[in-house]
Amino acid sequence: MSALESALTPASVAAPDQAILRAEHLRKEFPVPQMNPFAPKRAVHAVEDASLALYPGRATALVGESGSGKTTVARMLARLYDLTSGTISFRGEPVSLRGGSALRSYRRHVQLVFQDPFSSLNPVHSVRYHLSRPLKLYGHATSRQQVTEQILALLDRVSLTPATQFIEKYPHQLSGGQRQRVAIARALAVQPDVLLADEPVSMLDVSIRLDILNLLLRLKEEERLALLFITHDIASARYFAEDTLVMYAGQMVEGGPSEAVIQQPKHPYTKLLISAAPDPDRLSADGRNRVVLPARGEIPSLVTPPSGCRFHPRCPHAMPVCRERFPKRTELGGGQWVNCFLYGDGGNPVAPANQSPATNTPS
Amino acid sequence: MGTMSNDTLLEVKHVSVDYGAGDGAVHAVTDVSFTLRRGEILGLAGESGSGKSTLAYAVSRLLRPPALITGGQAIYYPRERDDETDGAASISKIPGLSGVRGEGPVDLFELSEDELRAFRWNDLAVVFQSAMNALNPVMTIGAQITDVLRTHRPHMPAPARKERAIELLRLVGIAPDRLGSYPHELSGGMRQRATIAIALALSPDLIIMDEPTTALDVVVQREILTEIMNLREKLHFAVIFITHDLSLLLEIADKVAIMYAGRLVEQASHYDLYKHARHPYSYGLMNSFPTLHGPRRTGIGIPGSPPDLRDVPPGCAFHPRCPFAFEPCKTVLPLLHPAVPGSDQQVACHLYDAQYRATPPTTEEIAARYEAIAEGSAVR
Repeated sequence: MSALESALTPASVAAPDQAILRAEHLRKEFPVPQMNPFAPKRAVHAVEDASLALYPGRATALVGESGSGKTTVARMLARLYDLTSGTISFRGEPVSLRGGSALRSYRRHVQLVFQDPFSSLNPVHSVRYHLSRPLKLYGHATSRQQVTEQILALLDRVSLTPATQFIEKYPHQLSGGQRQRVAIARALAVQPDVLLADEPVSMLDVSIRLDILNLLLRLKEEERLALLFITHDIASARYFAEDTLVMYAGQMVEGGPSEAVIQQPKHPYTKLLISAAPDPDRLSADGRNRVVLPARGEIPSLVTPPSGCRFHPRCPHAMPVCRERFPKRTELGGGQWVNCFLYGDGGNPVAPANQSPATNTPS
Repeated sequence: MGTMSNDTLLEVKHVSVDYGAGDGAVHAVTDVSFTLRRGEILGLAGESGSGKSTLAYAVSRLLRPPALITGGQAIYYPRERDDETDGAASISKIPGLSGVRGEGPVDLFELSEDELRAFRWNDLAVVFQSAMNALNPVMTIGAQITDVLRTHRPHMPAPARKERAIELLRLVGIAPDRLGSYPHELSGGMRQRATIAIALALSPDLIIMDEPTTALDVVVQREILTEIMNLREKLHFAVIFITHDLSLLLEIADKVAIMYAGRLVEQASHYDLYKHARHPYSYGLMNSFPTLHGPRRTGIGIPGSPPDLRDVPPGCAFHPRCPFAFEPCKTVLPLLHPAVPGSDQQVACHLYDAQYRATPPTTEEIAARYEAIAEGSAVR
């Protein structure tokens, strides 16, 4: 890990040119269908303000609960959803919002792996078909022999060996882990620079999850892929990614190097998430470990989200200003940042006033 | 049968369950035995297809054809019929007819339909994974709780039923004014709380929870788990908690049983299992969960994938994936026995059988073997 960590000096984070894919102030609203045409328009404010950058050979984890908007961000990045506002730039060039050919050349570089390998593969097509489509569409192979050769190489790369056995199989003949490997091979067939993985292991059996994560990590190293790893499990974010971003109800609340975010979480929501996660290391010899959560409740309705910081109704440290507006990003040093008034409002961090979030005493 | 100490609640002996019959039968559960004490939380862990849910549903007699209980017993020790009359004193006792209480031990597999009807909900309740599917979408929460009371306590007056429903909602942390809410008006966590309230309606001694928090977010999951632990302390029911999430189980269960391909491979107190998982499968399963603290090291998981139950490997079913597999594993079926003499940690593995191996492997040795595999696979 040390080589990776040295690759991430704060300076390299700040240099915009190195980012291969950069998203700024993404915003997505889904209109709510209404029966009454005269009623005021309503929308689900799924993503309020999300910015992120992906770097070659680095993995970034986007962590959040259901309804946090993490999948919406991935789908906007994959251009499966149109943006309500915001910009995506690839290698410094803004990505045009519309157009078939522009979209195809974008997808030539950015691929998405879905959560559920049981529904992302077509049951009537063989592995050969699934992998030959991207090869032909993107012109990586023309003759039948070339296609076969490349498919075998792809299967080998995702450790589906012997490849000659797997090539003629159909999805129902494969286990969940093997299907997910085929889905990953399909994304790799395009020879992308960026891989967006939307909960790639949460549908798989526990004992094979790490295998798939290790495969993705190996590909990241070998091919200098930029990876976005969407997950609800903060422990696997720590395992997998150099950087971790935390989202709550469509707002990005904290981010930075994974180890810093997870060992010294600053935002009250990140703290809540970590204290709620299963952690057998907390076990004591006499048995019970009592987790006292610093906050309760669930993600609010995104049709009428709370004003300001959306976490304020649940936050044990909420102040009047939290209701009024969302705090600006405060840099905490070492690449870690937080959007929380406890630490300031942009500019230099301040020591948290009256209540110290470090010694969290829930009331 | 009078030898059992009277805090035993359920004794499962040599239970086997098949799906289908004849040559094509799938042996989902094979020869599983365990004992559950009153007020104990037993965690059943395993991957999909390990038979953990099938086992629990066999005990609750909820299995339908083609599933068939092909052998074994589930002896249930009902609570003494002593405290039935002083019902007002405690929340956990409500007066009325009840189940199979006070009639001595019964084999749940021998119960008739009528007896089952009395047994279920009075003595045993089930909480399912998906609260949305478990609740009736066109009935209010209140109506669904009072429905249980009306069925099982026909002589209970309506106001008392409503009072009990309010009491139950309070117990699980739902405001009583939600009595008139429909399931779709509640959040996922609230719905699961409501199903727990329904399960508690008749103060059963045993609750089977089948992945009750898997569909929920971590924060809500933690709230529900805390709630279950608090309620257990207050009401002294026993729980069979089914999940694939071993890291969670280690935190809440008193005793953990690990299943693989329909058999129990290890059974131990949560702490023993955490400190030293003996079976290579248990160890691998535990290390399949990345940790939040400590050194960040390469996890390995377990090579290969769980077996197809139509074609379970002979001998120890885990041997094709096991980093320790040696000759006897391929032919001789390991049975559950104490991992070290005198220990109550039981393991079904030849590594701990003096006949095959003089000294059992240490935890470090198991770790080293797995790491060797990881390095081998990284080369490719």
